Amino acid sequence: MNISADRASGVFFLLFGLAMYFAVNPNYIEAVESGNIAPRTLPDTVSIIIAICGAVLVIKPTDQRVRNPVLMAKTGFYIVLLSVGIYAMSWFGFEYVAPLLAFAIMWFIGERRPFWLGLGVVGMPLLIWYLVTQLLGRALP
Amino acid sequence: MVDFSIILAGFSDAFTLFNLAFVLFGVVLGQFVGAVPGIGPIMAMAIAIPFTFGLDPLPAIAFLVGVNKGGLVGGAVPAVLMNTPGTPDAAATALDGNPLARQGKPLKATKMALFSSVTGDTFSDIVLITVSAPLAVLALKMGPIEVVALMIFAFSILAGLIGNSLTKGIIAAMLGLLVASVGQDPENYTPRLIFGYWDLFDGLPLPSVAIGMLAISEILHRLSEAHGNVRAAVSTEDTGNPDDKRVSWAEYWSCRYVMLRGATIGTILGALPGIGSTAAAFMSYAMTKAASKDPASFGKGNIQGIAASESANSAVVGANLIPLLTLGIPGSVGAALIISAFMIHGMQPGPLLFENQGRLVYGLFGAMLMANFVNLWVGQLGLRLWVKVVSAPESIIFSSALLLCFVGVAMATSGLFGVAIMLIFAVLGYLMASFGYSLVIFIIAFFLGPRFEKSIAQSLALTNGDLTQIFRSPVAVMLLLLSVASVVFFLRSNAQSEAR
Amino acid sequence: MKLKSKLLALGASALLAFATPAFAEDWAPDGPLTIQIGFGAGGSTDTMGRVLAKVMKDNTGWNVIVENKPGGGGVAMFTGLSQRPATGNVVGMGVSIPVLVQLVNRGDQLPFDLESFDYLGTVAKAELALVASKDAPFDDLEGMVTYAKEQGTLPVATMAPPQVLIMNQTKAATGAEFNLVTADGGAEVMKLILGGQVLAGFGSGEQFPYLESGDMKVIAGANQTRLSFAPDVKTFIESGVNAYVDPVFFLAMKAGTDPEATKAIASAIDAAITAPEFVEIVQNAVKGAPVNMGAEGTKKMMVDGLANAKVLFAK
Repeated sequence: MNISADRASGVFFLLFGLAMYFAVNPNYIEAVESGNIAPRTLPDTVSIIIAICGAVLVIKPTDQRVRNPVLMAKTGFYIVLLSVGIYAMSWFGFEYVAPLLAFAIMWFIGERRPFWLGLGVVGMPLLIWYLVTQLLGRALP
Repeated sequence: MVDFSIILAGFSDAFTLFNLAFVLFGVVLGQFVGAVPGIGPIMAMAIAIPFTFGLDPLPAIAFLVGVNKGGLVGGAVPAVLMNTPGTPDAAATALDGNPLARQGKPLKATKMALFSSVTGDTFSDIVLITVSAPLAVLALKMGPIEVVALMIFAFSILAGLIGNSLTKGIIAAMLGLLVASVGQDPENYTPRLIFGYWDLFDGLPLPSVAIGMLAISEILHRLSEAHGNVRAAVSTEDTGNPDDKRVSWAEYWSCRYVMLRGATIGTILGALPGIGSTAAAFMSYAMTKAASKDPASFGKGNIQGIAASESANSAVVGANLIPLLTLGIPGSVGAALIISAFMIHGMQPGPLLFENQGRLVYGLFGAMLMANFVNLWVGQLGLRLWVKVVSAPESIIFSSALLLCFVGVAMATSGLFGVAIMLIFAVLGYLMASFGYSLVIFIIAFFLGPRFEKSIAQSLALTNGDLTQIFRSPVAVMLLLLSVASVVFFLRSNAQSEAR
Repeated sequence: MKLKSKLLALGASALLAFATPAFAEDWAPDGPLTIQIGFGAGGSTDTMGRVLAKVMKDNTGWNVIVENKPGGGGVAMFTGLSQRPATGNVVGMGVSIPVLVQLVNRGDQLPFDLESFDYLGTVAKAELALVASKDAPFDDLEGMVTYAKEQGTLPVATMAPPQVLIMNQTKAATGAEFNLVTADGGAEVMKLILGGQVLAGFGSGEQFPYLESGDMKVIAGANQTRLSFAPDVKTFIESGVNAYVDPVFFLAMKAGTDPEATKAIASAIDAAITAPEFVEIVQNAVKGAPVNMGAEGTKKMMVDGLANAKVLFAK
């Protein structure tokens, strides 16, 4: 049970490079007749180098360790939280989502002091609103 | 040759209380928004331009120059204090600035950044004022072929930042180039790898990628480490030693060669359109580390690392005005915005600017020098404030920083689409950092990528596809030889440090 | 005193933008009105767009802001515009010819056509010139073609697809060979010419300071008629190459926008382009007077232009 982090990422980049070269680039890049450098030249070259380096890494890994899986899972949770926040903003707007998002982040970090919670949940969004819409004259997302 | 009396008249136009007020206003605004994560100096200038319409040309441009210069100083603040660079050119500053701040010396770290930034800036301003015309002619001789060679040289210097695995460094660089190729291809403007998202047609938005990768990924990492007993975002425990709050003259002076090298690199890259301050900062950092007797101390809070990065990225800004004022060619987005302001005020930057508007140009130079002093002075006060701000609990700092990045990126990329991309790159950045891939190399490759590909296409056009013609350009040959030498040097010193 | 009043004026102008209610119009944008410019900062479109926004803001009290969306000669910006909902607060400003040529050559791949937009008006006509360094060993297009044939090939810088097509037509008509170097905009074309990397290149206004200083000369006009600033120089057509472009700076919004909104914005644009400060900036940028064809006229210009581009530039 000793899979090194480099072997894992090496396999990923090997497959990723090959997938880009054989599947993605041909389908999502147009071919043109004229010009000095084809649109595919750079992405294809780069994909191949990524695949080769991935293979090298599988053969010759360094002693890279993965971060603590518990911490990575926690990060995953915050990523989901932020994604939900962005999605909600697209429906309800920044004004309504930002305080809730700020509250959720602060709560999960472990903040319980009313003063700081109040400042982060009400104060900051208000300040940002004032700064962006009143001072700079831009629209909030 | 410009008449000496015009120079004097120009400078005396500049040094008025009225202009000083606008420079001060610009510097304060620039330092403030530059330090707010997610906004940055370019955004600040774009917003500031309409406010200059009603002004006379000199205060208007003095104001914008103030915003630009203040923004540079401000940009280093979040990088140093929180390891979340708001602009990519401050990422190199974070490498040593943040460790130093974490040792309980946030004021020392930010002050070193301020002093070296102003030093580099002043150096390039003096070069601009004294020898811009011959330098601009030299820059013109750098055609597409020489630019390709220069970029290869820049990439080779990056080898000094690769760390423990060459393979992983190459992967990071290639991923950066791949991500940079999203959008239009450089010659035929066909859509490339946009997967039906036409918003991506002009490429992945730079602010989304840079802020996602550099700032949000770091915040994500710190969020996962946060727990019940909420700490301050930056420990400002008083070490009891007053030396930890300031930069002594001896410390500053010990960095003189570092800053001179940084300022020279920044000035050269700034005079050549299209390379940019991020590459300059990292090249200077890598070279300083390579030249140091104690390379192992870098990344652990060495003030020379801060000095190298800040002197170089600030020198770029003054030097960007060299091609702008003498030839009318902008060297960066910031310089392009200044051109806009020039033209709106009825001045046409170009070969006749010095002849037709000499007095105004020297007035601008006066304003730039003034802005440097104001920057230093305002910075001294501002840094104390920022250090206080980030000693607030991390719960509020992180949540506020996230909201600000959301809003800033949404403004800069016109919408939530850019924010979603920012989050995707934050995740990518987090994973890459977790598996030991260099984010810095990725970002530089991403920034240089489009220009690199375009210059290759231009070189192929000029040489009929016969790249051996590169050897007819002495400058290109010299740069390529230097590239080989630097790769060999860096790989060998990497191997040595591993062997130890 | 002067200082104080100026500072006050600056502050007041900043505040006014948000405080003044729209007057003389029934319609006002909900929030800021954004003008997206299809070119980078520092070019002629950008400068005109920024001043236009400023004058519109002064006249109407709306908060008009400007964003740069460069790429493909404005195609990237119009592509983005066509994908937006018709909310009535984003206006696109670009140049007709690059859009029309892309529609002719890859219309099936672009997610928009001429019907995707409601047209608001035009700002000015542009003149496109082929220029060369003053030291170039030719003075007109025929001379350049002869020189290219002597040398085997000749490097020319272009900044948008239509210019590539014009040069390809020149190749076909004369048999001369050109190396076409793609640059990112007029400023880069000027740099390549001044640096001697190319012998000629296209400019749509960026060349004026160099013509004035005598560093460059005009080789040919690329419009249908001769250039106003160089009436002695022949056009491509007169030199036997049947290709021309008549680029027009125009503004449009996403189709389906509330007619009240398009009407109000179109009249605000029309009012703005006659303002003296706008006239001056147009004079500086294109050496001509502002031209507004009106909403109907702009649409007709685009439709006719597309038919024309099909004849001239179809592959």
